[in-house]
Amino acid sequence: MKVNAGNLKKGDFVLYQSQIWQVQKADFYSPGKGSALMKTRIKNLLTGKNIEFTYKSNETVETIEVSSVEMQYLYKDSESLYFMDERTYNQYTVPITVVGDVSQFIKEGEKMFVYLHDEKPLSIRPPMSVRLKIIEAEDAAKGDTVSGAKKPAKLETGVTIMVPLFVKVGETVIVNPETGEYVERVKV
Amino acid sequence: MDIHINKNNIGYYSTYLTVEKAIQQYLQQNGYLKIDLPVLSPTLVPESYLEVFETEFKYLNNREKLYLTPSPELFLKRLLVSGIGNCYYLGKAFRNSDPNATLHSFEFTMLEFYKLKADYMDIAEEVLNMLRHIAAIIKKSKITYQNQTISLDKWEKISVAQAFDKYADISEAELFDKELFLKKAKIKGFRTSGYTYEDIFSQIYTQEIEVNLGMNGYPTLIYDYPKEFAALAKLNPDGKTSQRFEFYMAGVEIGDCYSELTDWQEQEKRFSEEAGKRTKSGKIEHPIDKGFIKALQYGLDDCAGIAIGFERLSMIFANVTSIDRLKLITIR
Repeated sequence: MKVNAGNLKKGDFVLYQSQIWQVQKADFYSPGKGSALMKTRIKNLLTGKNIEFTYKSNETVETIEVSSVEMQYLYKDSESLYFMDERTYNQYTVPITVVGDVSQFIKEGEKMFVYLHDEKPLSIRPPMSVRLKIIEAEDAAKGDTVSGAKKPAKLETGVTIMVPLFVKVGETVIVNPETGEYVERVKV
Repeated sequence: MDIHINKNNIGYYSTYLTVEKAIQQYLQQNGYLKIDLPVLSPTLVPESYLEVFETEFKYLNNREKLYLTPSPELFLKRLLVSGIGNCYYLGKAFRNSDPNATLHSFEFTMLEFYKLKADYMDIAEEVLNMLRHIAAIIKKSKITYQNQTISLDKWEKISVAQAFDKYADISEAELFDKELFLKKAKIKGFRTSGYTYEDIFSQIYTQEIEVNLGMNGYPTLIYDYPKEFAALAKLNPDGKTSQRFEFYMAGVEIGDCYSELTDWQEQEKRFSEEAGKRTKSGKIEHPIDKGFIKALQYGLDDCAGIAIGFERLSMIFANVTSIDRLKLITIR
């Protein structure tokens, strides 16, 4: 399908130099003279490499049709993430380089959407937020009342993020898997 | 669109307020008069690439079109002609058709100041001093932005021609010859057919030049744009370039400065060209500010002025990558 670059948005799949890329960021930009531009960051779905490309906003771009299928996330090894379509029992492999840091925030056994193009897996649709348990964190020092102060905390998936001082080991927090930022504590 | 409350941004917002205070303090201590201005105007300066917001004043059966000002320039230059002296505006400006993005908002805060008997390089000095003053108030001698240190000891200065040569492998001869330029762009892989010199210049500038600006440990001042990009700037004696600079910190464009065009005939010519382009591209038609030309006829002394995106500048000092992080309420 052909679209105007001005209509590109995050998550779209585009053809660029005969390869499939996913738009990570698309900012409309009016430089003051000449046609408006679309500044994009696109990720190569074979290599995981990100590049910045500036389109003219009225330039046509070839986009790729994909289907997103809900699958179970099975496990990962050093190179890939493995998923299973629970209806067909077909397994799909997505390289970690393509998924990026999001892979550090997803738990085995959880449901996740995988993008397919011609039956081949391209990437995953990162969940808006994930709930993960804190397994390691220092206790907040008494009297430390600086508002907004943070401390490192290790999540059950093994990754360490910054959380507010009041968060304790054993509590569950909501995290944005795309930015790795703490959102809030899950109230029990 | 919806209204969003972002109470968690209070810390960044407080930096935003400190930057604002520091700027007001610096400019007032240095003899600039703060000017409060209307944001609704019955006429505007025609700018071919800018879409505006149109509204209406109603009283019984009377109707009058009004426009939200995309820049305070039309008011400030009238005041300069009237003899007000060095002055500044720090307030809202509006640009339609600019979707909200990390560095854009259709409603934003602009700092614009003018200095008499000055040219663009005098303004460069003033801006650097102002940045140092802000840093001093925030108690930082160096700025750390996204793990980069930016020192305010000096500008990194580079001309547009030098930048194209250095970062895009486009020579000065190619840059100033439209035919050669488009040919070179095509070889570099840009789609050129159906596009103008201005279109492709902007695309290459954004793709290959901008990303390198303000990245070498200092803010970058990039100066002397081709005359096609002169807007309201004076031309240089070479006839090819205009006395305009932009400045960047960490790849982000922060300000745009001109030695102001004072020749009313040239200004009138540029106005009608810009208005023509607006009509052609189907933009909202608005009355052209003829009073602005009239004011110039009275005589505007040599002066220079700069427009600075206040949120973008605050972003650097607050070390955030989106203007939304500075705001307690956003419309998105």
